[in-house]
Amino acid sequence: MGPVELLHMSVFSQSFSPCGRFLAAGNNYGEIAVFSLSAALSPDATAANQKPVLTFTAHEGPVFSLLSTDVHLLSAGNGEISAWSWNELTKKNVKPLWTKRPNYKSSLEIPEINSMIINPRDNSLVVGGGDNNIHIMDLEHGVFKNILQGHSDYIHCVSVRDREAEILSGGEDGAVRMWGDDLVLVLFQSCARPQFGKWISCLTTDSDWMLCGGGPSLSLWHLRSLSPTSIFPLSGCQRQAAFYQDKILAVGEGAFVSHCLLGGEVKAQIPCTPQSLNTLQLNTNSTEHRVLTVGGSSDHIDVFTNLSYRAFSLSF
Amino acid sequence: MLASCLLAQGFMDSPDLSILSFVRVPDEVIRKRLLIDGDGAGDDRKINVLLKSFTKWCNSPGTPEEGFMQYQRMLGTLAQCEFSMGKTLMVYDMNLREMENYEKIYSNIEQNIMSAHEKIAECKKEIQRAKRIRKNRQEYDALAKVIQQHPDRHETLKQLEALDKELQQLSHIKENVDAKLELRKKQFHVLLSTIQELQQTLENDEKSDDDNNQESPAENGE
Repeated sequence: MGPVELLHMSVFSQSFSPCGRFLAAGNNYGEIAVFSLSAALSPDATAANQKPVLTFTAHEGPVFSLLSTDVHLLSAGNGEISAWSWNELTKKNVKPLWTKRPNYKSSLEIPEINSMIINPRDNSLVVGGGDNNIHIMDLEHGVFKNILQGHSDYIHCVSVRDREAEILSGGEDGAVRMWGDDLVLVLFQSCARPQFGKWISCLTTDSDWMLCGGGPSLSLWHLRSLSPTSIFPLSGCQRQAAFYQDKILAVGEGAFVSHCLLGGEVKAQIPCTPQSLNTLQLNTNSTEHRVLTVGGSSDHIDVFTNLSYRAFSLSF
Repeated sequence: MLASCLLAQGFMDSPDLSILSFVRVPDEVIRKRLLIDGDGAGDDRKINVLLKSFTKWCNSPGTPEEGFMQYQRMLGTLAQCEFSMGKTLMVYDMNLREMENYEKIYSNIEQNIMSAHEKIAECKKEIQRAKRIRKNRQEYDALAKVIQQHPDRHETLKQLEALDKELQQLSHIKENVDAKLELRKKQFHVLLSTIQELQQTLENDEKSDDDNNQESPAENGE
């Protein structure tokens, strides 16, 4: 990988292994790199520990979404989903377990898959992508069992409400759809920023509360009453957000991670190396490697051991 | 010269031969050294000297005063040796007690460390609890803000009541008007039907009159 390619690399997705000791990151060249967190976080780590233990080409197109189940790593590339076994990856074996493709209506163009999430209620994989539909795949049998149609433009992000087992999806058309027993549609007025557009690129939920943002400002919604409770005064478009303890972490345009309180104030903005950030992940699978990692338009992935400052960077 | 001065001052407790590697000590110095320091150093030297003086005193042919003086001197040296022995014993005791003291302090500090660890763990738990409480409070605040934006329930209920009353009144009025309309319709119906009947009767009369008139000229003409 030459220096020019490294310069143009963007990290689009990350996922931690179920044991919490490895981080997989996908970039725009279709490669997935597996980093060893335990080696990078150990007291006698060297610069070599911040390089991946394994890099392989997973798909032809960019890897926009990575997801970890208990044993598998699922990666989404150009319209196809591949599954890899974490055990095999740690042994440097890069053969995928399976590769499946959702049923697309037209076979001419292959839409990209932007976001995947697991619905724990019925152990299914929810996939949202460029064909404006949500495909639901049963993980046990490996068949695509349902298609949810309704968006008029491509889907950026999907999320699942654990308690009510509803699927939330946000798309380029500016609508957040809640697919449950009854379909509800949510649109934005008060937090709209017409200069950026109306696309929703970041969606995350905490069962009762939902964070969404993108073109419109990042806003916190109470799902039972479907009313926006706080709008966060962040200047750029946010690409990913997460609830963490009593705070909200958001990344997007701008070389920083924003820490916000639920009330709507921005408490801190911690600077990072990439110029704009695409993905944010918290390692909740392990107690001793509890870190936050962010990646974006750079070949470096910043690791935060303490949320207040950047500890070090992993690089492709 | 330097080496001999050092030796004379007793600086070197044990003949440190390493200095010989630095200074080329002439034989003079070695001889002098063996003469002066041949008995060993410090207390050891005192005891050796005492022994030597004791044997000298036993075999000395001198006057009784001299012998007595030497005897006194020997007693003095003996007392000095005993004194230094006592001192060493005390120092040893003191060291033992210091050791005990340090052991105590050490175990004390270890205990403190353990309790501090426990306190840290508890405080961490507290912090988690506090964070959760804070999150809940913020959620309440956010919801309260939304609720504040909506008008008070009493007011809305009052408005609803007023509207209800208005509605009732208006429907009452409508009923009245409807009833009046019905009545008027019926009256007009009655009026119109009477008029029609009258018309009919008049027409019938006219016709029968005409018939009568036509019959009589026809009768007259015959």
